[in-house]
Amino acid sequence: MINIQEVTKRYEMGSNIVMALDGITLDIHEGEFVAIVGPSGSGKSTLMNIIGCLDIVTSGTYVLNQIPIQEYDQDELADIRNQQIGFIFQQFNLLPSFTAIENVMMPMTYAKVAKKQRELKAAQLLQTVGLGDRMDHKPTELSGGQQQRVSIARALANDPAIILADEPTGALDSKTGKEVLTLLKTLNSNGKTVIVITHDQEVARFANRVITLKDGRVASDLAKEEVYV
Amino acid sequence: MFKEYFAIAFRSVVAHKIRALLTTLGVVIGVASVILLMSLGNSARTEAANQIRSIGSNLIYVSISDRQGALPATWLSEIQEKAQISAFSEMVSGTASYQVDGSNVDVSISGVNQYYGFVSNLSMTHGRFLNEFDVDNNLPAVVLGSKIPDLLFPNQGVLGNTLYIKGMPFTVVGIVEERGTNFSGDNDMMIYIPIDYTRTMFPMGGRFKTFYITAESEENIDLTMSRVTSYLSNYLPSSNQYRIFSQSQILGVLDTLMALLTTLLSGIASISLIVGGIGIMNIMLVTVRERTREIGIRKALGARRQQILVQFLIEAVIITTLGGIIGLTVSYIGAQIITSITDFNVVLGWDAVLLSLVFSITIGVIFGIYPAMQASKLEPVEALRFE
Repeated sequence: MINIQEVTKRYEMGSNIVMALDGITLDIHEGEFVAIVGPSGSGKSTLMNIIGCLDIVTSGTYVLNQIPIQEYDQDELADIRNQQIGFIFQQFNLLPSFTAIENVMMPMTYAKVAKKQRELKAAQLLQTVGLGDRMDHKPTELSGGQQQRVSIARALANDPAIILADEPTGALDSKTGKEVLTLLKTLNSNGKTVIVITHDQEVARFANRVITLKDGRVASDLAKEEVYV
Repeated sequence: MFKEYFAIAFRSVVAHKIRALLTTLGVVIGVASVILLMSLGNSARTEAANQIRSIGSNLIYVSISDRQGALPATWLSEIQEKAQISAFSEMVSGTASYQVDGSNVDVSISGVNQYYGFVSNLSMTHGRFLNEFDVDNNLPAVVLGSKIPDLLFPNQGVLGNTLYIKGMPFTVVGIVEERGTNFSGDNDMMIYIPIDYTRTMFPMGGRFKTFYITAESEENIDLTMSRVTSYLSNYLPSSNQYRIFSQSQILGVLDTLMALLTTLLSGIASISLIVGGIGIMNIMLVTVRERTREIGIRKALGARRQQILVQFLIEAVIITTLGGIIGLTVSYIGAQIITSITDFNVVLGWDAVLLSLVFSITIGVIFGIYPAMQASKLEPVEALRFE
């Protein structure tokens, strides 16, 4: 499903050249629950941006569902993000002036789904994440855990194959964090490919596979059993 | 899909109500002043045209300065014959002063013949105009402008009463309907007496001959004018010595002047529209910066560049259109106020409504496009990182 070959990402900051990714090769298959871990500066955020089609590689190839991403332009990448990837962010990234259901409907709006259908689907998704009674609340009227569940519902709006979560529990206390991770686990067991970027080993425990990055390279790529023997 | 963009943009405007309202102010002032000035100008044009028309559109006005006495004594009847004029009146004018409540009031005295009433399209409210009998026999009859009775004969019967002019008693035979003020002065402060009296009262007035002609029809105006000109040029070699123009020429010149003035004023007012537009651009640029993260989120969720561009452009247009509607309302209220406190009847037509909408939408597009482009060009990664 995800095939990354010899990918590098170079940033130029004035005369400073930073190799954020320095030759990464990895495959992620459908139905996997992968944690990408590493200290800050290891390149995990850059890798997430590449996988999420938010950014493009400097060299190497990235193929997502048979789509060679580097050959696509910004607008086509927007469509791919819209259809293939559900984002979950550390800071939730909900739009504050819109209600929960409006936030969930947004990816469907850009997918040009009819309004009635959007409302139906968004309501359904909010029910699924346990917020059926909070649909018309604005983000500021919801707790952190509730906001993150809204953003999970939003990530599922267009039925993407991949859920990409960047430090999904980073802004939550450990109890609500666990609830969110359990929700991700459920999604994974229902067939979604889940990729979690985190520096927290506790979070990584929920994954079936842990990829550790260091200095822009893959330091280790192990199945859960191998990590936590 | 446009409906969706509109809904998104509308929500964003509503979410920032106070700012949106403040931003519209520039457009409100711009649209209101342009529309009001244009409507005022147009009303003034209509007003002036109506006033001049009321005097008679077939009217030709001739003034001659004959210091040497080059014209023969029979010039008037000769012109009448050569130019085939049926109705004309010479006019010799002067002024007389009257004491009213301790202050001097000047009244214009016009010596005319019995045709003047027809030539100048006068209507009577009381009595009659001077007739052939008055003029031929030089009878002391006087016709008053509409303001004179209240001024000189307060609380008394006017018709048949006696008015002293330069010490001579005249009998009031008629009162003219209100005519307002035009290029020849306040018509309502004039009195009319048989012309021979004014020739003796104002001997200097005879050197400057003024007369009024009515052409047979509107089509005949030019022909009549050229015939009069050709007669006068026989005796008066310099064309500076006489002036001849028709009512429609005055109307044309006046209309051109008014139109120019209206355009000029509207032009000045439209500067405020541009200033308003720059205000919009400024606020939209701030908005784009403030909402960088929102743009990043929208892009991450699949918004194309064009969709972001259209969203912000529509936001700008919603704000300016709102300003246009408020501006139109303000100018409507302004028009009502002007109409109620002045003689002008200021009317806002459908063209004003249409124009203000076109103005405000255009301003929104012109000054909204740059900030919207800035928004659409943001890189999703950079925008998401923005705090």
